[in-house]
Formats: sequence, C-alpha cells, structure tokens
Amino acid sequence: MIEVHGVSFHYPGQEVLRQITFNVPAGRFLAVAGPNGSGKTTLVRLLGGLLKPSAGRIVIDGAAMGSYNARTLAQKIAVVRQDMIPSFAYTVYETVMMGRTCHFGPLGFETEQDRQLVLAAMRETEVEAFGSRRLTQISGGERQRVYLARALAQDTPIMLLDEPTSFLDLRHRVRFFDLLRRLQSAQGKTIVAITHDLNLAAQYCDEMLLLGGPGRSEHGPVGEVFRAERIEACFGVKVIQGRLGGVDVVLPVGTKPS
Amino acid sequence: MSRPLTGRLLAAQVAASVGVLVAVVLACCLVGTQPVDIGRVLAGPGPAGSPNLDYEIVVRIRLPRVMLAGVVGMALSCAGAVFQALLRNPLADPYILGISSGAGLGAAVAVMVPGIAAWSLEGVVGPVTCLAFAGALATVGLVSAIGRVAGGGGTTSLLLAGVVVNAFLSAVILFLISVAGGHQLQTTIFWLMGHLNTAALQGGRAIGLAALIVVAGAVVLFRLGPALNVLSFGHSDAQTVGVHVKAVHRTALGVASLVTAVAVSFSGLVGFVGLVVPHAVRLVFGPDHRRLIPLAGLYGAAFLIVADTFARVVVAPAELPVGVVTAMVGGPFFLVLLARYARGRRWGQG
Repeated sequence: MIEVHGVSFHYPGQEVLRQITFNVPAGRFLAVAGPNGSGKTTLVRLLGGLLKPSAGRIVIDGAAMGSYNARTLAQKIAVVRQDMIPSFAYTVYETVMMGRTCHFGPLGFETEQDRQLVLAAMRETEVEAFGSRRLTQISGGERQRVYLARALAQDTPIMLLDEPTSFLDLRHRVRFFDLLRRLQSAQGKTIVAITHDLNLAAQYCDEMLLLGGPGRSEHGPVGEVFRAERIEACFGVKVIQGRLGGVDVVLPVGTKPS
Repeated sequence: MSRPLTGRLLAAQVAASVGVLVAVVLACCLVGTQPVDIGRVLAGPGPAGSPNLDYEIVVRIRLPRVMLAGVVGMALSCAGAVFQALLRNPLADPYILGISSGAGLGAAVAVMVPGIAAWSLEGVVGPVTCLAFAGALATVGLVSAIGRVAGGGGTTSLLLAGVVVNAFLSAVILFLISVAGGHQLQTTIFWLMGHLNTAALQGGRAIGLAALIVVAGAVVLFRLGPALNVLSFGHSDAQTVGVHVKAVHRTALGVASLVTAVAVSFSGLVGFVGLVVPHAVRLVFGPDHRRLIPLAGLYGAAFLIVADTFARVVVAPAELPVGVVTAMVGGPFFLVLLARYARGRRWGQG
C-alpha cells in the first residue's frame, strides 16, 4: 500500500510536483503518464526513497518513508531501472543475484534461499536460457527483462518501473505487460509503472495518474482517467478516442498543413 | 567462468593463488646477481664471527625487498580495483585522486627542507616515508572535500577535483626540483620513479607494519565486495537494492586511499600495477568484486615481486627503476590476456 499525501517537489528554482495526493492499494497496478518533464521520474524517485519531498509525506505499508533505511526500504520496494550497461560486464545471473544483496550472509555470499529466488525470477522472466551471458552480449529487450528479474528476486511487495518498455518491440511490450499482470495476480504485487504506451497500459492497469505539470494532475480508475478530454488537457495535443476490437484506444491527431 | 561464485569456489581459488604467490616469493628470493645454494640457506645464520653469507643474502637482503614488493603490489592492485568501481571508470588507478602528487610533494619536501630528518618515527620509518604518507592522505582529504563542496560528491566532480589538485601539486614538485641542488635533485627524481631497493634499509618492523595495514585494508575492501558490485550500476540503483551508499563510498574511498598511501610512501610512484592488474584479473575471472579484490591483491603482489626481480637482475650490477619494468613487462603480458580472453567481452559504456 502506497499513500501519497500532498507531496510537492522542487529543484532549486524549478517546481516539478505540486500537492500530489493518491493511494495505490496493495495488489493494484497504477500507470503513470504525462509529457516529458512533467515529473514522472521525479515521482518514482520520491516513491523509491531516492529523493525527499519538499512538502507532504509518503507512507509505505503504514510507515512513513522517513522511518525506513536503505535496507528496510529495499525489502518493501524494488525498482526496475531504465536500460543501462554498467562499466564492468557482469553475467545475467550475477546481475539478478544483486537483487538479493541485502540478504547475503555475513561473508557476503548468497544462501540456498537466495539462489532459489533468483532461479525462480529468471524462469518467470524467461532469462534463464542466457544466465551465463554477459550484459554486453544480450539485446536491450533482454536486458530489460534481466532488470525486471533482479527486481523480482528482491522479493518485495511493491515494484516501481521507470519506462520499462521504451526500448522493446511490439511483441516484447505485450509480453512484458502480460508478465506484469501475471505477477500482480499470482504474487499480489503492487505495481507502479511509468509509461508512454498509453493504449497498452490502459489495457493492463487498474488506475492511472496523468501528470501534466505542477498543479495539473489527474488520478483515478483507468476508465475515468483514460478519456480523450483529459489526455488532451494533459499532453496539449488533440486526440480521438474510440473502441477497436473491444479495446479502448486514443490516437493523437496531427495538425495538417492548410 | 560461467560457474556462479560461491564461498567454497572462492576459497579454492584464493588458496591456489596464495600457493602461486608463495612459489613466486621463494623463487625470487633465490634469484639474484649472487648465486646462492638452497642447502646452505637452510643451514641457518651460522656461528657468530663467521656468518653464513648465503643465508644473510637471502634473509636480510632479498627477503625484505620481496616482501615489500608484495605488500606494495597488493595495496596498489586492491586500491586500483576499488577506485575503478567507485568512480565507475575503467581508466581509474590508485593515483587518480592526487595521492601520487601529494606523496611526491611530501617526499620532495623531506629531501629538500633542512632539519626535517628529525621528524621520523624513530627506528621504524624514515622522514621521507612519513612525509610522503602525510602528503598522500592530506591530498585525498582535500580532493574529496573539494569534490563534495563543488559537486555534491558525484563521481565527476571528484575526478575533476583530483585532476586539478594533481596538476597543481605536480607544478609545486617541479618548482622544488628546479631550485634543488644536485644530490637532492637525484634523490627526489629517483623517489618519483618508484623503487624498492631501500627495503633492507627500512627494516623488518616497518615492512611488517605496512603489511599489517595493507592486509587488514584488503579484508575490509573484500567485505564491501557485494556493495561495490551494485555500485557499478550507479548510486541510486545501489540504494534501491538496500546498500547504504554514502557509508560504503566513504569507507571504500578511505581504506583504498590508506593502503595506497602506505604503498606510495615506501616505494614511490610505481605505475601500471594498480591500473592493469585489476583488469587482467577481471578478464580471467570476471568482474565480481568478492573475487576481484582478493585475487587482484594476490596476483598484484606476485606481479610486482617478479617485476622487481627483473629490475634488480637484468642490467646488474646496475638496477632499473621497477616502474619501468612493470610497464615494459606488464604491457605485453596484458595484451596477451586481452587477446586470449576478451572475445565477446566489451567493457561497455558508462
């Protein structure tokens, strides 16, 4: 359960978020969307404990964010990062195992339980076939699944994802969202995902948060927020909404030269 | 190397590497310009009045030097691996935060300023070592303070602070050298090139103290291995998997700087080891810091012992500066490793 009460955030001389309030009940899936620079990543960093709100407070499973330290927060929340290749080429297995870092034994080695969780996470995300390959030797889409596997191995009730599907092709996007939904229903994960893929996210999420700049955010069940007029207001472009093959979609409409 | 690292596998590999190191120590004690007979060495020091020369050469001259080379090689290799991890920069080496110029300035001052000789730690280490050590630590403190003030402690501001302080102190050293007299000039330049042939003069207690600090430091850095692994993915990422990033960063930086300062204050500026040994170990054994740090320490020790043995025998009775040998022997060796192991492995981009 994530509770966000009147959270504001500003960098020196620049307001990013103003008075954001919403809840994500346990086991729900929240999609966060909005134009570039509207504070989506800032919000995820606030929820992940990486930034402190300028005002307001965040409560995770009944305890204020400030009452957690890095270790205890890492047992509540896992973050799936955007794609990156580190300076040193770890293997896929090593990378997934890093999700277990704060559970390692006194000498810094994994226990049998850590190993089981890592193998299960690798099976779930279908990365076990290339467990011994290096992060430099696999595709961006495969790496994205590796980072998801690492977050799964962390074995937390909450997962935050920052644009997890931005580098994936159509097929892998759909499979990624399928996987998220499976985790949500089978393991009861609470999921918060930033996405630019409104149409796909709308098919999977329970709730949607549109960030349109300070003081202009909309939150609610996806059926209420995923509406043409709200999306137009948030992104400042014209869209048309319709139902195609039983699925609600919005399409941006370009401005034709006259 | 696709087998996952376990405590047992690591213990076996560390034991094997210790075996290699011991063999290297023994072999290099027996190699030198003066041939010695193993049987006579084992016979002991001999009666008073007629000392056993073979024993004296191996135990009083060669062994201290080999031990010091091992301690310095271990310190520089462990510290190099840690600096590369903390700065997320494969080009980092133990001197990148200005330790070299700080220690060099300390040594130059000790050589050139009259009356400083009295500052030595009586009977354990000389004034050059003391001042080089103080200069090294003071410089790292200054650089991290500047990095923190100027850039909130990010790696780029730390690197920049290191480069700037390094350049400034190097200029001061050059200034001192340009006004120095003949003997002082020679001593300073010699110190800056890196050397291990003063080992016998340092005495067993000083080398033992250095070994103690370096081995203890290596153990602390090994314990930080899992955190250093995660730090390769960035500070925020490490924090979200539960690492207390600030504490780890501070401890690792402090300990790596301490062992580097110890090494530099005894040996001067021995280059190449701290940059290349970690890369060589990474190529062969992979980047996991729980294995990288102990193995880099052991192979760094073995490597510098071998390099120093070359330095003292190839142009005998003269000697080469060991820093020249590390680069001339180590460079081609590293290229062979690169060609052998680097297929399909890239360092990747930050």
